[in-house]
Amino acid sequence: MLSRVASSLYWLSRYVERSDGILRMLKINYASSQDTIHEFTWDPVIRISSGGKEEEISSMKNDSRKVVEYLLFNRDNPNSIINIITLARENARSVQEHIATDLWQCLNEYYHTVKDPKLLWYVQKDDPITALDILIKQVMLYYGTADSTMERGEIRSFMSIGKYLERSIQSIDILDIKFISVSDNPDLLTDTSYWKHLLLSLGGYELYLKSYRGGFSDENVLELIMLNQDFPRSAKYGVHNIQRYFERLKSEKNIEHYKSLSFNIGKLHSYITYSSVYTIKEEGLHNYLVKIRNGLYGIGNLLQEYYF
Amino acid sequence: MSEIDLSKYQNISNTWDEMYISNDNLREQYHKIITYLQKESANDLNKKEELAKRLFMSQGITFTVYDSGEGIEKIFPFDIIPRVITSPEWSFIEKGIKQRLKALNLFLKDVYSTQFIIKDKVIPASLIYSCPHFLREMYNLNVPHDIYIHIAGIDLIRDYDGTFYVLEDNLRTPSGVSYMLENREITKRLFPDLIPQCKVRSVTEYPNILYKNLLALSPRAVSNPTIVLLSPGMYNSAYYEHTTLARLMGVELVEGRDLVISDQKVFMKTTTGLQQVDVIYRRVDDDFLDPLVFNPQSVLGVAGLMSAYRKGNVAIINAVGNGVADDKAVYKYVPEMIRYYLNEEPLLKNVPTYSLGNADEKEYVFENINKMVIKKTNGSGGYGMLMGHAADQREIDDYKIEVLKDPRNFIAQPTISLSTAPCYMDGVLQPRRVDLRPFALCGPDGISIVPGGLTRVALKEGSLVVNSSQGGGSKDTWVLSS
Repeated sequence: MLSRVASSLYWLSRYVERSDGILRMLKINYASSQDTIHEFTWDPVIRISSGGKEEEISSMKNDSRKVVEYLLFNRDNPNSIINIITLARENARSVQEHIATDLWQCLNEYYHTVKDPKLLWYVQKDDPITALDILIKQVMLYYGTADSTMERGEIRSFMSIGKYLERSIQSIDILDIKFISVSDNPDLLTDTSYWKHLLLSLGGYELYLKSYRGGFSDENVLELIMLNQDFPRSAKYGVHNIQRYFERLKSEKNIEHYKSLSFNIGKLHSYITYSSVYTIKEEGLHNYLVKIRNGLYGIGNLLQEYYF
Repeated sequence: MSEIDLSKYQNISNTWDEMYISNDNLREQYHKIITYLQKESANDLNKKEELAKRLFMSQGITFTVYDSGEGIEKIFPFDIIPRVITSPEWSFIEKGIKQRLKALNLFLKDVYSTQFIIKDKVIPASLIYSCPHFLREMYNLNVPHDIYIHIAGIDLIRDYDGTFYVLEDNLRTPSGVSYMLENREITKRLFPDLIPQCKVRSVTEYPNILYKNLLALSPRAVSNPTIVLLSPGMYNSAYYEHTTLARLMGVELVEGRDLVISDQKVFMKTTTGLQQVDVIYRRVDDDFLDPLVFNPQSVLGVAGLMSAYRKGNVAIINAVGNGVADDKAVYKYVPEMIRYYLNEEPLLKNVPTYSLGNADEKEYVFENINKMVIKKTNGSGGYGMLMGHAADQREIDDYKIEVLKDPRNFIAQPTISLSTAPCYMDGVLQPRRVDLRPFALCGPDGISIVPGGLTRVALKEGSLVVNSSQGGGSKDTWVLSS
């Protein structure tokens, strides 16, 4: 496969996954902003999911509609859904003949949906969750279509590596920011809705209830998001899948590069596998997350260097 | 709901109409379509128009206009009423184009090697050597199977009596074939069952024939040669066409930056290292192909490509340097070429053409400028033309000054009226001017033309210019089986 094509597939996939993460987080946070007696603070959400400037963020204060609009439609926010999906579609367009027609059309529809003025109207005047649901459905359609139409070869491997890399980075970022807020404000430790929203925005609420009885504890939340083998948004699951899809790229032609990258992925995977809540706490959560994040970035950089 | 009212259809005088012989005297090939349409209300047809737009949009068959900062997605305007060509008309067109291409291909071979046609004074040497698309780099370069024109789009028009004329030969990188294919797909959705009822011939073989030809041109005798389609990239207005063709043929779509030359061979950069390329179907113009030989500023091409080509290590489709054969001043000599190389009378007529490089002809043209269309010999897209009948005195004077700077670069042709075909506009059928571009494919086994083509239509009332850049649209083109 052409290096340029592999790179586009990888980025296409990262952008779609990023949009999924942002949309889900927005939906849950918007819902909780409607369900609080205190003033709802959007600050962590904006910090996780936008590259916006400080003054812009503070100018929105805590106007929920404005924040949603900013994160969905603002052209100056490099991580707004409209910008991300434009990039995803440009990448898809440049590899149109490699992805299934259905998938291309799916992404194209997603793009036109984001641009639909109706959506802006929902956010500004009507129910913003309707707009978010419409977009979340587009992502689900994308994943369903990808799963049932894409060939299972190199193409799929690069797309999956992009997807799981992006997802792992997101889970880690969310965890990091949420736990930083806790260390600033220890009252949150016992705030049920705080943990509930964190889990909901990662789609792990139901699994948490099944796995741990008797309320929320920060240790259990940490374990679920970092170390749970079966939780599709855990760091462990993500890195495991990066490893799984990378192994399929093995080829005698570039065995040296393969080995070097394989070594890095394996190292990160082992590091997560052989940690426990106890060792993480001992090391310091923030340090631990920084290390894993750097490991993931390192994999991205090596892919760029060796494969694209 | 009102039905479609055909009585409002007004033939334009002195113009061949594809549907009507005269008002309310319908041509037989349109009977079934009209019967079908008359069952529909204007509302139904409006819905069909909407559906067509939506299908183009959702399939991403769009081009982006980047003039207002944010890119605007546009679709190439499509008229839902198909244009119909009868079986006898088609077999005439087919024979005519084959004859013409055979001669043009021999001409390219000759002009880039023996140059008999110049020595025998059939075409003046000055005309050839002054053509900017005549590339000395191609001299004595052997191309596989002596084929230069692998893909041609020949633009045909019909005069008031229905006679077909060749308006232009497009022998470099003709585009529009994806619209021929897509328009048919859309029509299938718009008018269920109508295509089989009318016995319309299929166009779907196009990519298969092209692929087979590309495969046969590989210089390397390997069982699975690497074929690529070289595109200038996604910001090119024909990018949709490039991806469609690459997909339908299952070949790799590459950009210049994906290719490198090593040891006078072409390679593409893949995730597992370099892979040798055997055949390049390029959609990049000659000028941009190789910065070492042509435009040194170009980043769309590949440095060293011409050396690999000259060495015979790669086949390039279409061949480099074809522009000398579709130059508008050389066009005038195509009938002579047919007589010279084939010893046959040309089947398809040329539009009478005056070279402004010739003083007598220039004088005649300037005297009759109101009846003339003046064009640049290397212009395209309908730009830089003077339509004498529509221009005012100032435009004419300005244009004359341009012409006098370098008369060789201009030709003039009498205004041809172009036939009309029915278009669905504002709830009624209205006649609009059309042309026809069939696509011919030449391979080692000969020339094949899929029955169909791109019908371009001037959507503005009274307009004679069908180019998409000038407000033109397209129609599905039906060739009926006998």
